[in-house]
Amino acid sequence: MTVEASSLAPNGFRRLASRGLILALVLFLSVAPFLLVIAVSLGQKIEGGAWDWGLTFENYQRFFVGGDWPESWSPLHLQQLWYSLFYAIAASLLAVVTAFPFTWAMTQLSRRTQALWLIFFLTSLSLSEVFVAMGWDVLLSNRSGLPMLLREGGITQWLKEVGWFQTFRDWGLANPRDLRFKPTSFATILTMTYLVWPYAVILLYPALSRVDRSMLEAAATMGAKPTAVMLSIVLPLVRLSLIGTTLLLFVFLLGAYVVVAVFAEPAKQTLSIAIYETIHGLTLNAPFGAAQAILLLVAATLLLIIGTRLSRARRVGEG
Amino acid sequence: MRWVRPLYMALSALFIALPIVVVCASALNSGRAMLFPPEDPTLDRFLAFFVEEEIWVTALRHSIIIALGAAALATLMAWPIAYQIWKRKDGLSKLIAGLASLPFALPPIVFGVGLSFLWSFTTGLGEIWAGMVSHAAFFLALPLVIISIGLQSIDRAHLDAAATMGAGEAVTFRTLIFPQTLPYTASAFFFVLVLSFNEFIIMFFVSSAAYSTVTLQIFNSLRNGFTPTMAVGAITFILASVLVFALVARFGNLPKLLGADDSNAP
Repeated sequence: MTVEASSLAPNGFRRLASRGLILALVLFLSVAPFLLVIAVSLGQKIEGGAWDWGLTFENYQRFFVGGDWPESWSPLHLQQLWYSLFYAIAASLLAVVTAFPFTWAMTQLSRRTQALWLIFFLTSLSLSEVFVAMGWDVLLSNRSGLPMLLREGGITQWLKEVGWFQTFRDWGLANPRDLRFKPTSFATILTMTYLVWPYAVILLYPALSRVDRSMLEAAATMGAKPTAVMLSIVLPLVRLSLIGTTLLLFVFLLGAYVVVAVFAEPAKQTLSIAIYETIHGLTLNAPFGAAQAILLLVAATLLLIIGTRLSRARRVGEG
Repeated sequence: MRWVRPLYMALSALFIALPIVVVCASALNSGRAMLFPPEDPTLDRFLAFFVEEEIWVTALRHSIIIALGAAALATLMAWPIAYQIWKRKDGLSKLIAGLASLPFALPPIVFGVGLSFLWSFTTGLGEIWAGMVSHAAFFLALPLVIISIGLQSIDRAHLDAAATMGAGEAVTFRTLIFPQTLPYTASAFFFVLVLSFNEFIIMFFVSSAAYSTVTLQIFNSLRNGFTPTMAVGAITFILASVLVFALVARFGNLPKLLGADDSNAP
């Protein structure tokens, strides 16, 4: 007994020590960066690209009213936040709405075929934002992309003849002679949708593949039309997964950098671009950049809370 | 209406494949411009990317070193955390796992900003090892989830049998738990490898322009106009990803890894 007890004590101690080590490591690598952003955001910029610790909310104030306050009010930073939210919401909704029917169709196939599709999506999903931007840049470019194809195919001419060309001009998708897709919000949202589309499939996949087939067969046997089955069985079953997926994609897109840098018009750039420019660009104002990052995080959190509240409220309403 | 479903699936596949195909085909251009379809196809760009052009060779080396290091580190860090949750299911293990998943759940750019501050205080800013550790921390949630799925798939009867026959924790781990979860460990490693290879924004912040990986180099060249050599980088990356995921699918149960329920297989 004494042998057992004495060998147990150092074991327990070692276990505690190793868990403490892991906790310390995780705190240092995963938590400290976020705390640092908060701490730096309260600091002050001093001359020559340096900054100092502090306890001021000036950086946050500047975000809402601009640098020249109180002489003049500038909504520049709020506008960047607005575009961050706008692009991310539009693209995440578009991706989920179009990926849902695809994923549903995919889960009806054999396991082997499903695995092949999954490899295909995982591969394209692992593809860097940089390559995606590169591919769409070629596809949308005036010289060799879609505008060229439409011009050579006579579609552009046809659009002019039926008078729809003006509509494209009004939407900012054409110059006086040709269709033009970049830089536009259209190209930004399209590429962002592309960026998260495989994620949408992979995130919707577990819920959709777990929908009990026998329930659908039962409903079909009793004469329910496919649309009715979809609306009354499948959608309610996977509703939470749909909302969860949309929210995840939204958070992911909120930080998109390359796509916005390449496709968005200069006047419609997002907060991500501004954050990098502030910290590493011309102004080297780390505290203000940190404050911008925190506000992006706050906006994301608020929207996540609203999103989950909405989904819960509707469930209560149904009950 | 039978044709609607396959048609929609085919169109979706086309949508996903189109930019990839375009990038790959542009690599064959002989001139400096990115044209599609390629003019005067040539394979010279491959030679340029892998052998001749110093910037690309260096960038590729950095990418590989960082990806391998990050994948190994992330898997090593994830193992004890996942094991503790599975073994003990106590509050502390769950707290550690939750904190470790934090970077993956929040907008990456915020984590990038935070890491660039962290490394500027610890002399790591612009160092390769810091890039490696940054990626390991950023992707830690993935091996954590994958290894946890692996641990849950171990048959409790085997563990009971091992305990009955007098195997201690270390022996059970070595002879039963580790071999049974090896496919998951390998999958976790390869997932992080591929994602680290392709990651941009974290590297953008922590490299601080002191070194480039392939993705950073491509972004830099992207501002100065495309060249076909960049597309060769893209092809290399795509092929590597296909290979890795095919391996994962071959040796692990990919649908299950991604959350499908085995009992419901058509």
